[in-house]
Amino acid sequence: MLEVKLHDIGEGMTEGEIVQYLVKVGERIETDQPLVEVQTDKMIAELSSPCSGVVTEIIINPGETVQVGTSLIYIKADNNSDTKQSTPAEKKQDPKIETIQPSEKRSKSSLNNFHRVLATPYTRKLARDNNISIEDVRASDLSGRVTEEDVYRFLKGEQIENDHEPIVEEQKITIKKETPDEIPFRGIRKKIAQKMTKSLFTIPHVTHFDEVNMTNLFKIRAELKASGESISVPAFLIKALVISLKDFPIFNAELDEENDIILLKRNYHIGLATNTDNGLLVPVIHDADKKSIKEINEQVKRLTEKAIAGKLQPIEMQNSTFTMSNVGPLGSTGATPIINFPETAIIAFHKTKKQPIVNDQDEIVIGHIMTLSMAFDHRVADGATAVAFTNRFASLIEHPHKLMMEMI
Amino acid sequence: MVVGELIQERDLIIIGGGPGGYSAAVRGAQLGLSVTLIEQAEMGGVCLNKGCIPSKVFTHAAAKLSDTTHLRDLGIGNGDEVFNLKKLLSYKESVIDGLRSGVESLCKENKIEVILGRASFLGADRIGVENGHQFDIYEFKQGIIATGSSQEMPSGLMENGKRILLSHEIFELEEVPEHLIVNGCDYIALEIASSFAALGAKVTILLDKKEGYPFDESINKELNRLFKKRKINVIQVFELISTNETEDEISVTCINDKNSEETIIGTYLIFSGIRKPNIESLGISRLKIEQTVEGFIKVDENMQSSIPSIYAIGDVTEGPLLAIKAIKQGKAAVESIAGGKPEVDLTFLPIVAHTIPPIVCVGLTEKKARDSGMELRVSRFALGGNGYATITNKKDGFIKVISDSTTDIIVGIHMIGDGAIEMSGSFVQLLEMAAKEEDIKFPAYAHPGINEGLLEAVEALIGQAIHAGPVKIRKKDLLSI
Repeated sequence: MLEVKLHDIGEGMTEGEIVQYLVKVGERIETDQPLVEVQTDKMIAELSSPCSGVVTEIIINPGETVQVGTSLIYIKADNNSDTKQSTPAEKKQDPKIETIQPSEKRSKSSLNNFHRVLATPYTRKLARDNNISIEDVRASDLSGRVTEEDVYRFLKGEQIENDHEPIVEEQKITIKKETPDEIPFRGIRKKIAQKMTKSLFTIPHVTHFDEVNMTNLFKIRAELKASGESISVPAFLIKALVISLKDFPIFNAELDEENDIILLKRNYHIGLATNTDNGLLVPVIHDADKKSIKEINEQVKRLTEKAIAGKLQPIEMQNSTFTMSNVGPLGSTGATPIINFPETAIIAFHKTKKQPIVNDQDEIVIGHIMTLSMAFDHRVADGATAVAFTNRFASLIEHPHKLMMEMI
Repeated sequence: MVVGELIQERDLIIIGGGPGGYSAAVRGAQLGLSVTLIEQAEMGGVCLNKGCIPSKVFTHAAAKLSDTTHLRDLGIGNGDEVFNLKKLLSYKESVIDGLRSGVESLCKENKIEVILGRASFLGADRIGVENGHQFDIYEFKQGIIATGSSQEMPSGLMENGKRILLSHEIFELEEVPEHLIVNGCDYIALEIASSFAALGAKVTILLDKKEGYPFDESINKELNRLFKKRKINVIQVFELISTNETEDEISVTCINDKNSEETIIGTYLIFSGIRKPNIESLGISRLKIEQTVEGFIKVDENMQSSIPSIYAIGDVTEGPLLAIKAIKQGKAAVESIAGGKPEVDLTFLPIVAHTIPPIVCVGLTEKKARDSGMELRVSRFALGGNGYATITNKKDGFIKVISDSTTDIIVGIHMIGDGAIEMSGSFVQLLEMAAKEEDIKFPAYAHPGINEGLLEAVEALIGQAIHAGPVKIRKKDLLSI
């Protein structure tokens, strides 16, 4: 009997929610066949079978969140023997039979241990027929008896709260109570919530705003395009960010409060906050400092497509050291972004608009102006450094030929 | 033995025609399954042929016989009726024959194929049936093992002599023993002791000191009192040391609860014995089916064993060795095979003994309820206060109710007294419905009737039973109020 446990699919993962099983008890499976979908804080991953054999028991129910190391499935592994009997002549041999593990927990409860269910037999049947465990249904009765109504309410996804709401007498004004639509709060949405809460409650955020003149960059892009090279704006932004980060490594850092150390990272892995139908995902351009603008451009394109298709691998979402959020294509002029914990800073780029600007010759001309919002951890850095950082970044974008100076 | 070349195909094969097996077969037929039942001896199993049914013929006769004095009071007979055991034995046979042919015709009417012979598994989907020189092989989609259990003498201590009998063997005996020694404390042992005492035997019970009677503590005490009243000798025994059998006597030496050696001489010694699952000849250990240390087949909530095509029900599985468990599990197994979602929950399985008077225990005993830390209300209503019990002259015993005082929910109902077996239906229903005190107090009950005793027992929880003395409050307690 082989146990398939929830293992760490991505670095630092401690728990996962079982989304669904892709196999059934009794089903034959092959090596590497996907068994179960697990929702981690970053993605939905599939665990596959380490061997061929037969699924004998599914231990954890879908919807449950379990710790890494928890056994999920039992598999009776093959020892390369045919499990079916063929001829009566073989009857003297020890037959090889597929076996399953009768569920210890449940068969016990049906023996004479006093384990009472406070519900009528009909209510219990109602629960069974709807594939729910009566013990999961919360009772509306104060003495703990589960009623038919409670089961129906459970089926509709409305659990009774333990505290009974006081009945408020409404006078004259009658408000028609409309039942609100419900969105299940789980999966990626819930993980985002947990992460954001942790970041905002841990890190004292400071955000400042700035403007960047994109006019020259747009010219270079147009020239490149004319020569057959189509490079997106984010590729330039990332390159400029990496160069600025090298000058201000404090923003490519992580605060280790336990050991009283600020770790200045030597890798420059830039996270790209990406909006998908499933919620916010952050694919990572690893070692962006060692990549050319062209390489970065290709990678941004590939990762964004994968994120939207929900096909990112765990490795593609790990180890970012700094995160940028390019909300420009969607609009907006400013934001107070929340840092991707445990990083030190995050930058958001907003919509580039044509604006009248005064040039060096005191002329009013049309400029392409992009606003940015930079949030940083005030425990680690101060405002002046942050402004110096965005100044450096802006100068690289406003004078794109400077980027050439940084070519390796 | 001729090995059949042909393998016959079947859908559902049930091995064993006891109460579990035939109930499963009939329910299977009702659900549209094609059912084959294999039985090696007689339909009805232990329950019908050797257990429940014959023993109840005896408890019934004993209850009637003990009623003769009362009948004389009613003007019926003159009280010197003579008991004729031979007559009872043939009555027992006719009851068994009648019930057995009833089961057989049930199978016929439901188009259940009944095959006579000994079954043994050849694989997870194949079974051989041996009947004399015939050996047939059947392939099945699902098989249900319902082969029950057999009694065994405790090993080591004594030989199975002429005067040492297993409990079911006493129902074949052609004489009422002069002095019957009953070893054991389960319901079978208690029923035998109670019945044979009524039928005229001197009875001694050797009660295992550790286990004691299996009921609520108050009932155990009352039973002891009633046994004493009927001159049934109960000896608390620590250990049986030896037995010595002669031509017409058997002596048993044991260490009693006063830690001294005691020898009892009687005519027969009865053991309620140890029950072992009947699975050896099935060859299922070769299939590596999962079993407990004691050899019972492990099953899940659908009675499915570790081999998906094989189910097991009744005495071959863990838990109480009772026909009602087998019947429930048998139905559940076929319902699950037919795609249903059955459940077997034995929490409120009643413990029943057809003693004189009969006993029923359902739910928590007072001790278990206290041990669980629950806040309790406990009451006892003596049947002496019940009008109908006075009419029938069955005033011994009481009904005891235990409820959770924080929720009013009833957690246990226990009864010793005439009518207990029929009353137990209400007890189990009330507990399964998670009834509260008011749910019992509210309805109107037939008057006069024993069932009023249950009403009064619940009313007594708050000192409001009409036919019971007022709850005495001691002066000391009054001062503290």
